[in-house]
Amino acid sequence: MKFQLVTLTGTNTEQEVYEVILPTAAGEIAVFGGHEPLVTIAVPGAIAVRHTKGDADDRLEYFAIGGGVIEVTPESIKVLVDSADSADDIVESETKAALDRALKMRESAKDQVELEKASQLVDRHAVRLKVADLRRRRRRP
Amino acid sequence: MSSTRALKSRIRSVKSTKQITKAMQLVAASKMRKAQDAEKAMEPYTSAARELLTHLAAQGETDRHPLFQVPEKVRSRLLIVVGTDKGLAGAYDANVLKLYTKQLMEDEAAGIKNQTIAIGRRANRFVSRLKSVTVAAAYQDLPDDPSGTQLRAIVDTAIDAFNTGDIDVVDIVYTEFLSSVTQQATVRRILPAGFEKMAEVSEDVRTAEFEPSAEEVLEAVTYRLVEAQVYYYLLTARASEYIMRMLAMKNATDNANDLIDDLTLAMNKARQSAITQELAEISGGVEAMK
Repeated sequence: MKFQLVTLTGTNTEQEVYEVILPTAAGEIAVFGGHEPLVTIAVPGAIAVRHTKGDADDRLEYFAIGGGVIEVTPESIKVLVDSADSADDIVESETKAALDRALKMRESAKDQVELEKASQLVDRHAVRLKVADLRRRRRRP
Repeated sequence: MSSTRALKSRIRSVKSTKQITKAMQLVAASKMRKAQDAEKAMEPYTSAARELLTHLAAQGETDRHPLFQVPEKVRSRLLIVVGTDKGLAGAYDANVLKLYTKQLMEDEAAGIKNQTIAIGRRANRFVSRLKSVTVAAAYQDLPDDPSGTQLRAIVDTAIDAFNTGDIDVVDIVYTEFLSSVTQQATVRRILPAGFEKMAEVSEDVRTAEFEPSAEEVLEAVTYRLVEAQVYYYLLTARASEYIMRMLAMKNATDNANDLIDDLTLAMNKARQSAITQELAEISGGVEAMK
């Protein structure tokens, strides 16, 4: 099954996979090949990808995504999202600092626009941090 | 002698100006290529979104969605005007602002109230000088690749105003990149949302189930398509800005070259005449001593 992660700035990843676990508005769903065609809404969270059938849970690949739309067909999964980061690209300490900055920004927000912007940043960095954490656990023996 | 020295220093100063304009020309060229690449990179995203919307429109979903509602009569309009942050881009800002002013005058004649979102320092400065204009928001120093949060702020302002009914339509005034020699200031409608229908919708999308509902998916996709459109216009405007700056700088470099040639000629002539004069004086002196 083909898995495609598409953002406004280009196709983030395109690969052959066995299973994809997606965060949707109705909770997490796991999608395998041959799934019924489905269009649903993605919420900010972590996408987990199992490359081959034999892969254990600690070999999953993670992506942090913002909200978006998921298109599932029997042969492919296409995820259109606002932002996507591979877990390997996320530097935990930097993200932690960014999250702290965003939280501070949210506290000191003077108007609705600033608050909105800060909340979006908080969400984004919280998701990234979660994904980085998932990856670290995976690495542990 | 003094005139050759003055000429020499002028040549030096023109040469250093030329170095700067040449460098700016090269920078603009490479930035333009980047903007065009970014434009191409968004193609998979927009075509997937358009396919979904085409399908949903065929189901009649878009007729009910607020963002697609075409007002019976336009009473108020939001104009997003895209200018540059820095100058030296030829007639770029002049063209955009001229078209913008034309829109304002048309609205005034038709009795349409309007608001403005100004993007870019030049546009900000111009808009803030106009007393009759209400500025809804002003942005400057947007990065070449406007990151999600900044773009969202612009789109949110527009969508909020549209949803609350403050605004009947939203238009953007930007510079379209027609080709590498022609860039044209253009007005395009952003809201009520419109999109180019795909000729064909794949079997999978047609038979797909929509969860939680087609309506909610439509909501998510429409918002993103509007965002993608604004992003596209901003990128096109950037590409136009850079190519116009590149041309302006190329002209400046060419002019500097001409000027250097002229000045060098003048300097050589001055030096030659100085030598001739000295020779004449020497031979005159020799003649007198005989």
